Order: sequence, then C-alpha cells, then structure tokens
Amino acid sequence: MTSPFSDEKPSSAARRIRMTVNGVAVEAVAEPRTTLVDFLRGDLGLGGTHVGCEHGVCGACTILLEGRTVRACLMLAVQADGARLTTIEGLGRDGVLHPIQQAFVDEHGLQCGFCTPGFLLSVHELLEQNPDPSDEEIRDFLGGHLCRCTGYKTILRSVRLAARRLRETKAAVAAHAEASS
Amino acid sequence: MKPPPFAYAAPRSVADATALLRASDGDAKLLAGGQSLLPLLAMRLARPSLLVDLGRIADLDYVREDDGMIAIGAMTTKTAVERSALIRTRQPLLHDATRLIGHPQIRNRGTVGGSMAQADPAAEYPAVAVALGATLRLAGERGERSVDAAAFFPSPFTTALEPSEILTEIRVPMRAAGSGWSVLEIARRHGDFALAGAVVMLGIESGRIASARIVLFGVAPVPVRVSAGEAALLGESPGRPAFEHAAACARDAVSEPLSDPHASAAYRCHLAGVLVGRGLAEAAARAEGSS
Amino acid sequence: MTGGIPKTIADLPTSKARYIGERVPRVEDQMLVSGRAEFIDNATLPGMLHGAILRSPFAHARIVRIDTSRARALPGVFAVVTGEDARATTAPLGTIPDGWGVHCLAVDKARFVGEPVAAVAATSRALAEDALEQIDVEYEPLPAVVDAFEALKPGAPLLLEEKGSNVVLHKQFRWGDVDAAFRDADRVVREKLRWNRLGANPMETFGVIAQWDPSEATLTCRGSYQTQGYMALGISAVLQIPAHKVRVISHPHGGSFGGKGGMRGTCIAAMLSRQADGRPVKWIEDRMEYLVGGAGQAWDRHYEAALALRSDGRFTGLHVTLLDDLGGTPEGAGAISAAKPLASFTGCYTIPVAAYDLTLVLTNKLPTGPYRGMGPPPHNWVLEHLVDTAARELGIDPGEIRRRNFIAKDRFPYEIATGNEYDSGDYEAALDRVLEMSDYRRLREEQAQARAEGRLVGIGLVSTIEPGVFDWNAYAIVGVPMTGVPEGATVSIDLFGKIVVKVGFSLEGQGQYTVAAQLLADYFGVELGDVRVVAQDSLSAPPHFGPGGSRLGVALTGAVLGAAERVKAKLVRAAAHLLQADPGVVVLRDGRLEVPGVPGAEMTVAQVAAVMLTRSDLLPPDLEPSPEATCVWTAPGRTPADADGRAKSYLTAANACHIVRVEIDAETGQVTIDGYWIADDCGVRLNPANVEGMIQGGVAQGVGAALLEEYVYDADGQPLTSTFADYLLPTISDVPIPETAAIVTPSPFTPLGAKGVGEGAMHTTPAAVLCAINDALAPLGVQATETPASPHRLWKLLESARSHAKSNR
Ligand SMILES: Cc1cc2nc3c(=O)[nH]c(=O)nc-3n(C[C@H](O)[C@H](O)[C@H](O)COP(=O)(O)OP(=O)(O)OC[C@H]3O[C@@H](n4cnc5c(N)ncnc54)[C@H](O)[C@@H]3O)c2cc1C
Ligand code: FES
Ligand code: FES
Repeated sequence: MTSPFSDEKPSSAARRIRMTVNGVAVEAVAEPRTTLVDFLRGDLGLGGTHVGCEHGVCGACTILLEGRTVRACLMLAVQADGARLTTIEGLGRDGVLHPIQQAFVDEHGLQCGFCTPGFLLSVHELLEQNPDPSDEEIRDFLGGHLCRCTGYKTILRSVRLAARRLRETKAAVAAHAEASS
Repeated sequence: MKPPPFAYAAPRSVADATALLRASDGDAKLLAGGQSLLPLLAMRLARPSLLVDLGRIADLDYVREDDGMIAIGAMTTKTAVERSALIRTRQPLLHDATRLIGHPQIRNRGTVGGSMAQADPAAEYPAVAVALGATLRLAGERGERSVDAAAFFPSPFTTALEPSEILTEIRVPMRAAGSGWSVLEIARRHGDFALAGAVVMLGIESGRIASARIVLFGVAPVPVRVSAGEAALLGESPGRPAFEHAAACARDAVSEPLSDPHASAAYRCHLAGVLVGRGLAEAAARAEGSS
Repeated sequence: MTGGIPKTIADLPTSKARYIGERVPRVEDQMLVSGRAEFIDNATLPGMLHGAILRSPFAHARIVRIDTSRARALPGVFAVVTGEDARATTAPLGTIPDGWGVHCLAVDKARFVGEPVAAVAATSRALAEDALEQIDVEYEPLPAVVDAFEALKPGAPLLLEEKGSNVVLHKQFRWGDVDAAFRDADRVVREKLRWNRLGANPMETFGVIAQWDPSEATLTCRGSYQTQGYMALGISAVLQIPAHKVRVISHPHGGSFGGKGGMRGTCIAAMLSRQADGRPVKWIEDRMEYLVGGAGQAWDRHYEAALALRSDGRFTGLHVTLLDDLGGTPEGAGAISAAKPLASFTGCYTIPVAAYDLTLVLTNKLPTGPYRGMGPPPHNWVLEHLVDTAARELGIDPGEIRRRNFIAKDRFPYEIATGNEYDSGDYEAALDRVLEMSDYRRLREEQAQARAEGRLVGIGLVSTIEPGVFDWNAYAIVGVPMTGVPEGATVSIDLFGKIVVKVGFSLEGQGQYTVAAQLLADYFGVELGDVRVVAQDSLSAPPHFGPGGSRLGVALTGAVLGAAERVKAKLVRAAAHLLQADPGVVVLRDGRLEVPGVPGAEMTVAQVAAVMLTRSDLLPPDLEPSPEATCVWTAPGRTPADADGRAKSYLTAANACHIVRVEIDAETGQVTIDGYWIADDCGVRLNPANVEGMIQGGVAQGVGAALLEEYVYDADGQPLTSTFADYLLPTISDVPIPETAAIVTPSPFTPLGAKGVGEGAMHTTPAAVLCAINDALAPLGVQATETPASPHRLWKLLESARSHAKSNR
C-alpha cells in the first residue's frame, strides 16, 4: 500500500492520512498515538467497530484491512495510511443485509450484539478463504473472538447457514452464466 | 487506556530506519505488526519517544529459498508463513508452530521478526528458531551481522539486538530427509500463550536415533535446550523407554522455572516432561513415515 | 394487577397466535448486525469532554496529600476532582446492609487497588490520561487484609475503623428443628468448599455521559444502565439532588449479567461536568478498569455444609455455613447474593428443615457485586456436591437419589423450608428425559470400561431450581426493606393501526423487545413489524425496574398484556358506540372489533383508533379518546419477610436437569467436556429461540465458572488478573453444545404461564461440570473442592492421590 502523506521524518504532530473505507476515499488528521479503532469511531464516525478490551484479546474491534481481518485496537491510524478498509458499516448497504448478517439474524447468532460486528468480519474472511468450513475450522478461525452472551452455539449455526447460502448463490450464478453463454 | 504521546516516522529503507534509531535518544522503538507493542503502549508500559514503523520498508516481506536455506524477511506476517508452500513442505515444524500462535487475526498482522525481537518466554518462534539452529541477520550502524538463534535470547524480553540494530531476516535450514518433528503446547485456552511447550526433532537412521533436538518454551525465562535428554537419545531405538528417560531429563532441565497464577513452577516442569514424551513419539512416527 | 390478563396463549384475542410461542427472529437484530445501535460510546454531545479516573495502586493506604496543580495547568483540562470534592458535595454511596458507605472518590484512605482517588475531564481521553500522570498523590501504605478468615480475627486491619470490626453481618438462621434432624440422621455428609471470585464481564464495559445543567440544577446521565430508574434514585441520594431533577437515559448496551455497575463512575462524571460548568463529560470504563475496579467481581465464598440423611437416601436436613468476602465495601450489593439462595435453598428436594450460618466480611479487595444467578450458582454446587457425596456413600445412583428426594409434581405450589413457594414443576419428567437423551445406562457402561483402561471419565448429573421474577423481600435478611418490583408499559395505537409500546429499559441482549412485539402483534392482529418498542428515560417511562432477577420476560408480558387489555376496553366502548351496539357484545378478534353473529357489524382496530384520534366528538363524552393505556405489573401476593427471612419471594421456579460427561487428562489435569444433555422446564416459552439463547449463554458462563474464570489477588491485595489475557472467558472452543429438550410445566401464577429463565443454565452448569469432574476423580479418593477446576489444581489433586497410593502400597 502506498502512503501519500506518511512522513519519513519523525514527528509527534498530528498528520494528514488518507484511506479508502467501505469504498469511500477519506482524508483526515490523526495524532501518531491514535489507534485505528479510535480513529474509525471518533474521527470517521463509524461506531459499529466496537471496543471490548483495547488490548487485543476480545476481537470486538475486528475490521478488514486489504480484505484480511485485523484488530483495529492493535494498529495505529497512521499505519493504515493508504490502506483499503472495510468495517461493519460496509458489509450490508442501505438496510439490505449481507448474507452473513442475515444468517446471524435468522439463527439468533447474537444477543446484545456488541461482539457481533467483529464476528461478522471474521466470518467474511473465513468464507472467502474456505466456502465450506468444518465446525473445527470455524472454531479455529473464530477462537479469538469473545462473546459473553450466546455461548457460541447459534454463532456456529449462523456461520454454517451463511456458508450454505453463499455457496448456493455462487452455484446459481455459475449455472446461470453457463446457461446464458 | 490510550497510548502516551510519541513521535512517529515511517522510513522507506533499513538504512533510514537504523539512522533514525541512531539519531534518537535511545528510547526509540521499532514498530512491526504491533501485536505485542500496541497493548504495551495502550497500558503505558512502553513509553518510547519515537516509534519507527518498519511497515513501509518494501523489501522485508518475503519467504524464499536461498543457498539451501529458507530465508524469511523480518516483516513477513505469520499468515504468510502459514501459507507458504515452501515452508509447509520443506520445514513443516515452522508451519505447525505458526498455527499455534494466537489467532488468525493476530497472525494477519504479527511478524516473524516481531516475535523474535519480542522474545516472550512463552512464544513458539524463539524455541523453534533455537531448535532449528536458525540464523538471525541484523542490520546496524556497523553494517550487517549474523547471530545464531542459540545466542539471540539471553534473557526474557531481551535479545542480542543492539539499540540501533534491526532484525532483517531469519534463515532456517530445511528439514533433513528421514527426520521427524513435533511442536506441542498446553495453554489454558486455544490460542493463548503456552503454560508449557516443547519442540522436538528426531533423526532416525536404520532404526536408531541419529540426531535429537529438544527445546522447551513457556517454562523458563528463555528457550531451554534439553541437552541431557538429547544426548541420552542418541543411538537408542525410538520407543517408550528412551522417550520416558528424555522426558525425565526435560523435567529436570529447567533451573529457574516460571510461576504465575495459572501454573506453578512444579506444574510447568511436569508439563514439559509430558510434552517431551508425547512430542518424541509424534516425531518418531513422522520420521518413520517419511523415510 | 393480573385480573383480565390472559392466562394462556389460547386466551389471546386471536384465532391463531402467529408469533407468541414461536421462534421468531428478533426485532432488535437488524440494527445490531449493521453496527448501528447507539451504544453509549457511540454517542457524542456538543462540547463534550472526556473523563479519566486515577486509581489507588495500593490495597490499603492512607492518602496523605494530593496535588492536582500540574494536571489543572495542562491545556485542554477542564476539571479535576478528588476525594475532598466528594466529601464536600456528595453523600457516601449506599450499601447493603445500610451504613457502610464510602465516597465515590476515596477520602482519607483507599481500601482496594483500583479505588478511584481523583479524576480529570479534558478534551480527549488521551489528554485526560496524560493529566492523570501529572497528579501527585502521597500514600502511606497500611497493612492490607486479603483473606476472609484473617479479616475476622481480632487485631486484623480494619476497613472502616469507626465500625470496630470487618464483619458486616453475622446471623444464624434455623428453619425448623435442624439440631434434631442432624441428631437423628442415619448419616451426615459434610464438605468444605471454596468458590473463588469471578464475575460478569459483559463485552461492553460501563460508560456514561453526565451533563449538569447549572441553570436548572438538574443532571442528565446517559449510559449503559441496566436499571435506569433504580440508578436514578441512587444518584439522587449520593449527589444530593432531588430525584425529579435527575434524568437517566439507558442506552442499548453490550450485555450486563448484573455486572454493569456504574454508580461511582456516574457520580464522578457528574462531579466533573459540574466543575466544567455544565459541559457534558463522557467516561468510558476501559477493560482493565473494569477488571480491577468495576462491577465485575462476585461470590468470593468459603462454605462448610452438611446434609443429614436416612439410610434409604432421603434427605432430612441441610446446614450451610457461608463466609462471604464482600471486598472493600458492601456498595456493590454483593450481600444480596448471600440472601438470594433462600429462594431455592433446598433445591428440587423435600428437605424439611434447614440452617444457614451467614457471615459477611470486608477485605482489601474490589467490592463484590451481582452476577448472573445472584448467589444460587455457588449454593447449588454446594448442595449438589453433598447430594453426590451422599449417593456415593450409600451406593445409590446419583439420578436415583435425586428422584427419591424430588418434590413430587402433585405437591405444588410447594413451600420450602426457607419460606419461598415454588409455583409448579415436574422434576422427574426432566430427569427421565435427560436420562433417555443421554442414554445414561450406556454412559455408565462406557465409563466403567474407560476406568478399567485407567482413564478418568466422569458423569455429572444435577437438577436445580432457577428462581424467577425476583422480589426485594427475598433479600430481607441482609437488610433490604422493600417489597414489590414494578414493570410498566404504555401501549398506543396510531391512525394506521400500528402500535408503539413504551418501556423503561433499553436493549441488553435478552430479546425482550421482540417478546413485546410478539405479544402485541398477536393481540391486535398485526404483523410483527407493525409494532415498535421505544425506550423512555427514567422520568418519562411508566414505573419500571428493567432486566434483572430473571423477571423481565414475565413482568413485561404482564405489563404489555395488561395495557393491551385496557386499550381493548377503550376500543370496545368506542366501537360499540359507533356500531350502535351494546359494549357487552362487542369483541376483539384478529384485529377486528365485531358483534358476533351480526353481519357487517365490525370495524378494524385501525378504524376505531383513527376515529378516537381524530373525532372524539363522535365518542361518548366519558370515554378518554386516546387508544392508549399503561399497565404497571407487579408480582402478586408478595408480602414482607418474617424475622427469619421467610417470604413468598420469587414468583416462579424453573427447573433444569443436566448431564455432563468429562474426561480428565491424567497427566496434565486438563478437562474435556465431551457430552452434554439438558432438559429444561421454564414453563411456557414465549420465544423458544430466546429461551435457548439464555440457556446456552448460561452454559458458557457456567463452564467459565467451573473451569476457567477466577480473579486472583496476591497476599498484598494486588490483582493479578487485570487483563483479558489473565481473566479467562470461555471461547468458542471451550463451550460444549448440548443436546436440549424442553419440558413445559406452565406457571399457574404468571401471564401465559411463562417462568423466569434469564439467568438460565448458570444455575446448573457449574455444579454439573464440577460434579462430573468429581465423579471422574472418585476412584482415586480425591475431590475437587475449589473453583475453577483448573488443570493446575486438578494436577495437584492427581499428584496427591498418586503419592497417597504409593505410600499406602
Ligand atoms: C491475543 C494475542 C495472542 C497472542 N498469542 C501468541 C502466542 O500464542 N504465541 C506467540 O508467540 N505470540 C502471541 N502473540 C504475540 C504476537 O505473536 C506478536 O505478533 C508478536 O509477539 C510480535 O510481533 P509483531 O510483529 O506484532 O511485533 P511488534 O508488536 O510490532 O513488536 C514487538 C517488539 O519487537 C520489536 N521489533 C519488531 N520488529 C523488529 C525488528 N525487525 N527488529 C528489531 N526489533 C523489532 C519491537 O520494537 C517491539 O519491541 C499474541 C498476541 C495477541 C494480541
Ligand atoms: S478491542 Fe480490540 S481486541 Fe478487544
Ligand atoms: S452477543 Fe453479546 S457479547 Fe456476543
């Protein structure tokens, strides 16, 4: 990722950074010490990325950086200069839920919903890499996300449902493409 | 929990980075993946005057075969290691160890160099580096130098790095034919730092143990080689009696075991013995399977 | 009021209930999965400052001097407060029992690590934390008392010198002739058990934005409040502002489980806002603050207990001695947790007499507070452990000994020795179901085989009660003087027949808004999406308490249906007038008001509502023309407790029977749960998916309690578990996924027959897992008697068994 503004000269002054968040180019000023999660929430007004621990253990702050999940409390905003990010606000659009979100609704995969955005983004990465994960693979991938409410049963079910629906959609699209070619 | 103020720079080359370190008053810190450093900053346990971000240096992120060794750039993420076909096929111990580190979201950011430089007593990589006889390449004001892993971890959370040096590359040998490996650990939860862990490598020739390496992590301030156990295995036929003896050596190998609310010193030493016993069995099975 | 509230789903004015009783998706979820809920940290007010709190690094220390001048001088700092300000402008915090309160900022001395000592408001949180580092506090460390038994000794360091003792309460209760029961028993089993501190840890910590209005001398507090109206009263008392001048607004919050707290944080934020001339001050508790200084610690308990038996396995008496370590002060209502076990003291069993020797003591640790279950989870473990020990000693199967002692299904309502009344139940049905589901006989056969191979396999079988729908009278023995807990709802119908229901609590995770929508959609024959639930603040909402004590589902059902009945009565009168019929013949059914048997004599709810809202001139003059009504529901028949704490307290008694299979790694002490079966009876399930969620959430927290979670302090009172890397919450890999079954014994006392189930399996899982572990250990002659059963603890037990076996050889 190229960083148009990041300064090679040391400075503790706030600096201008630029990134693409949920497909929209944004530019703002951040102190070096501002974490990415505080920047997203405070400066960009994207409150769906939640803060559960600020020390990297709970997973609530998980976002996608260049398509990969990262913990936004374990990055500085200046490190993301030039990057492409996706937050929960970028998953569904205008009230239309992403199939993963819909699966969590349908399977009661949440209670308080505080951990949920982080889970959803990790599930997104998981299913991109592995469209048909086993329960063990799901557990392995989500082991770094804490949920205090659900006891995880319905989360597991939600992931299975989302995976199935996404596979079915993909198969249907492929069949359609074949039929029309 | 907000970090204290600090200055920040994102140099584009190793030379620029070492120059920044040299020019600073000595409490500058390098920033790699931040998976260890950011929590320390948030808790204000680390208070650098300057953070030098290695993330913009283009040529520290690679895994390649070089001169019969596997060369890994310091800024290579654990996810990249995990996905490297070269590592999976030619040094599967490193692949397996990587999967024990934290969680995918941590591995997506955390780097190989960061884990070595952090030198956490419970971390997998330092023990793996010691077991494999890895070489670490450092860049500093006097140019480059290489340090054996065995000499890189003098005490917990400290390394052989000079204040203005940067770890640039880790070089590990490929797995020898006919050798088996194992890395096992016990943690309170999946993905947690280990209460105890053991890295084991065994070479078996004509039904006899021809080479052995046993390194413990999580039990002592630094990775511990179980030399007595290794020596005792040589020439033995792989099997329970030999492994149990080596496991007993592992239990006794640790002079200053760690102790915390999760595990006492005695428990950690006991676990080290259990893991070495299990690890040897696993390594032997793999060695036999591969030859 | 229960009169007129439908008793069963069939009584609702619909030919077929489409929503209630069904697993409908939750109305809350669209917003939550989109990341759009306004959790408190997402809210911002103009001119808002950010607070940070300086906390004591010592468990016990005199505060000699505080110098805040350097902090005040920092640009961007607008307010700095210390204990002196608290002393000058606030009253001590309320406590249970009364009269042990300290101020929200330590005055003169600090009593636990993490106690607030000073606070700052600045233009950013980072800056406020920078300013904390500029506050100089001179402490004179005092000897700390960390162990509860030490705290009892004469000469122990005193937490509150003026009290002359650390003992907050010491009482002995005898319900019946317990001495005779133990004297006449064929056998008595005894055990000492230790339940270590653990706690709620919702994924969102507490947060508040406090705004003082200097012109009107009013205070508005927005925050993640579990019980806003109740908090408002507390804030009013501490800050000495009349209650009508305090407005508390509860935001959606990320779980609570009783452990949200917030009293100190709110009062400190309010003091900062006042000093900053009314600028709003946000304070978000960070996770480390929560772990060392928040409301997340509960149940630090030392038990000694005995069960008297006949040789046929019948229980004749129970004696429980509890030393409960409340930490630094009784401000967190931890004492309530020692009283609540009275609501189900003798579990599912007919134990005619009982005794409780209760001591509450202070130590230099964080004050304990509520946590899901509020006290019975440890008590249930103690009781179930004794039952298992009895079964083992008598050679009776654990299922069989329980069956012999169950309260039979025809004996309800049943009054237990401690005075509470269980509404209904069929404990044998749940037991039979879970025995069948687990194929229990086969489990035992497999266990015998595993044992023969030297493996440590254990089966836990426990049966517990979850008291539901709390009343304050349950806590009389620790000095709570009140009776009656209200929950109100206001239901209104708009011009288009859509429904709005206003309540006094916000989202917390249990799905109550969905339940309200289900009820009203069926009641008035509309779609689920036609009902909107709106939270009102503490001054505008009808009387309310909110979630807690496994009550809101039941109480809200009462309030919503009560309000719906009143709206219906108005609609019927209006419709009768418009249709020129006698009100006595007009009925509401499937969203229509009609005169049965008279073709054409019908109007829709929307039509009647529209007339009421626009043409009151067409209606009878004595009919209030708004299609709106409020009902405040309170559990019927609650009366103050007698001198021994006996009262009809919790309205419902849900029952669960769990079977767990574990295997202990004999070399490492690690426990694997490899089988789990649950039969649960919480009466009629208003939304089965919600109920299952409560149960499974309780399983997870129960596994945490049994295996992972513990707050550890060193001998000086320093907390050693101050991050999520050390305080271990269960992950997706740690929690089993049980096979579950529902038994339905409707409550005769509640609307629609539902029982409280919000605290769920937390009542059962800790005991079930620990009993399974002890079943595995039984052949070795050792028992786990301390929570959590960590690998380290179990390894030590296994070692002691091995060395014992060696020395006996
Ligand atoms: C929840 C969680 C679980 C974890 N579990 C594990 C685990 O099980 N096992 C494990 O091993 N680790 C674990 N970690 C730590 C993780 O692996 C870190 O990524 C790693 O320790 C540090 O790598 P980093 O790239 O993030 O380094 P950083 O955090 O950026 O840096 C760490 C230290 O190394 C120095 N440094 C970094 N790069 C260099 C360099 N090239 N030259 C010189 N100095 C350098 C830095 O100055 C700093 O002092 C966990 C972390 C978290 C948050
Ligand atoms: S807030 Fe980032 S991991 Fe918890
Ligand atoms: S739904 Fe509340 S923490 Fe996961």
